Amino acid sequence: MSEEFPKPVPVPDRDSQPFWEGVRVGELRVQSCDDCGLLRWPPRDICGGCHAFSWHWRATTGRGTVLSWVVNHQVFSPSFATEVPYTVVTVAINEQSDIQMVGGWCGAGAPRAGMAVRAVYTRFDEETTLVNWEPVDEAPDSRDE
Amino acid sequence: MAIRDRVAIVGVGYTDFSKNSGVSTLTLASRAIASALADAGLGVQDIDGLATHRVGDSALPGTLAHSLGLADLAWHLDQFGGGSVSHAVVGQAALAVAAGMAETVVCYRAINARSEFRMGGTGRPPVDAVETQYQAPYGHLAPPQQFAMAARTHMEKYGTTAEHFGAVAVTQRDHAVHNERAMMRRPITLEDYLASRWVVEPLRLLDCCLETDAAVALVLTTTERARDLARPPVLISGAAWGGGFTLYSHGQPDPTVTAAHSLAPRLYSQAGIGPTEIDLAELYDCFTYSVIVQLEDYGFCEKGEGGPFAADGAIALGGALPVNTHGGFLSEGYVHGLNHICEAVAQLRGDAGARQVAGAEVALSTAQPGYVSGQTSALLLRRAL
Ligand SMILES: [Zn+2]
Repeated sequence: MSEEFPKPVPVPDRDSQPFWEGVRVGELRVQSCDDCGLLRWPPRDICGGCHAFSWHWRATTGRGTVLSWVVNHQVFSPSFATEVPYTVVTVAINEQSDIQMVGGWCGAGAPRAGMAVRAVYTRFDEETTLVNWEPVDEAPDSRDE
Repeated sequence: MAIRDRVAIVGVGYTDFSKNSGVSTLTLASRAIASALADAGLGVQDIDGLATHRVGDSALPGTLAHSLGLADLAWHLDQFGGGSVSHAVVGQAALAVAAGMAETVVCYRAINARSEFRMGGTGRPPVDAVETQYQAPYGHLAPPQQFAMAARTHMEKYGTTAEHFGAVAVTQRDHAVHNERAMMRRPITLEDYLASRWVVEPLRLLDCCLETDAAVALVLTTTERARDLARPPVLISGAAWGGGFTLYSHGQPDPTVTAAHSLAPRLYSQAGIGPTEIDLAELYDCFTYSVIVQLEDYGFCEKGEGGPFAADGAIALGGALPVNTHGGFLSEGYVHGLNHICEAVAQLRGDAGARQVAGAEVALSTAQPGYVSGQTSALLLRRAL
């Protein structure tokens, strides 16, 4: 990584702070509506399903399915200049398929649509951990729960 | 009260399209506005409304009013947003005119998208969107990446191919050959397309629109007043907005269905016009894929058939539905949406020269279909009888 062009880091806001705290301790959290049970992410206070304001954080399994992926060749930001080509995936989480997260890819081969994946919690620096993804069948046993 | 045909576009204006205008967006806007007013046979003193959209990259209506010496605008709009709101700007101006809040409104977009604020993301901070904190840290921060993600899903789900994307690029370049304003006029082949470098797989360089320095402007007034002006009026038969979900992370489960899918029936019923009655379409083409998905979502073909529809020649001049007759953002240049409306106006007036669609009476012009922002907007225009 270039010192001159630091990578963008998540700047947690008042809604997202607990999500990023979860990632730091290796937990992929989403909100769960206390009234209708609908899950939601990114975090916000009202349920889009039943409009209740009462909810709690729920830790997911951190498992999901690859929906789509791209391979970046162009340097869109100087902070990723040394990383191209790099792959970014969109993953639907197992608990609710309309919750879709974008993340880095750390599988050995290319992703495929429908591939079963698991979250890899990658420490970025003192404050920040990011969520990348790898195929379930590539996960070493030591990382299995 | 329906908006249908109550407001007309009576003038369009352009600056040059270039990679470096060498001037401010304020200057670009002033020049495009003067050009549009000249086209309409009107003067600056006739303007009582100004509207634009921008993403922190252009001159405000208030600044323009001051420059133009307009002490009291009866109506103005400074809409935050990118291509998805481009047609909403004109739609809202039409509502203002129809409601009598203003009589003559100029809509403009001025952008130095190559020399100052590059849309491709290079060196520009990520946009102020809720997705940013969840995407930018992974190097996912520019529109080509977001559209590539959707394009890949479309390929996986419907068998859409690189050749289908290429057909859009090649066809639009063929159209630009007949447009002296276009930045890219040298014809390309499918082989050229396939040989162009990857930007972000599955999108190549020739899938991506140009980054352009330019401004365009449109003059709107009541249909009644339009009949006394210099040029044949083009009527706004429908103006619609759509969308809510932003794709990726906001609950739209299928990225191959855009906000245009829910907007289209509203637009058509407003105008009393269906897709089979449309003679040409200027479809927001930030990338080739967005043309394909809009062919489906505006009902010109079935879901999943946009690629074959494009590759079979339907979208070419002389085809069933000529699309992006000026070359689009891919080949004419990228003015963030409004240059599509200007081209539709030229076609409906019969002003399009060698690229004229014979007998063009009805045109669809559309905004970015809703990736990134989740919202879209569109206009149905028709020649006044
Ligand atoms: Zn609920």
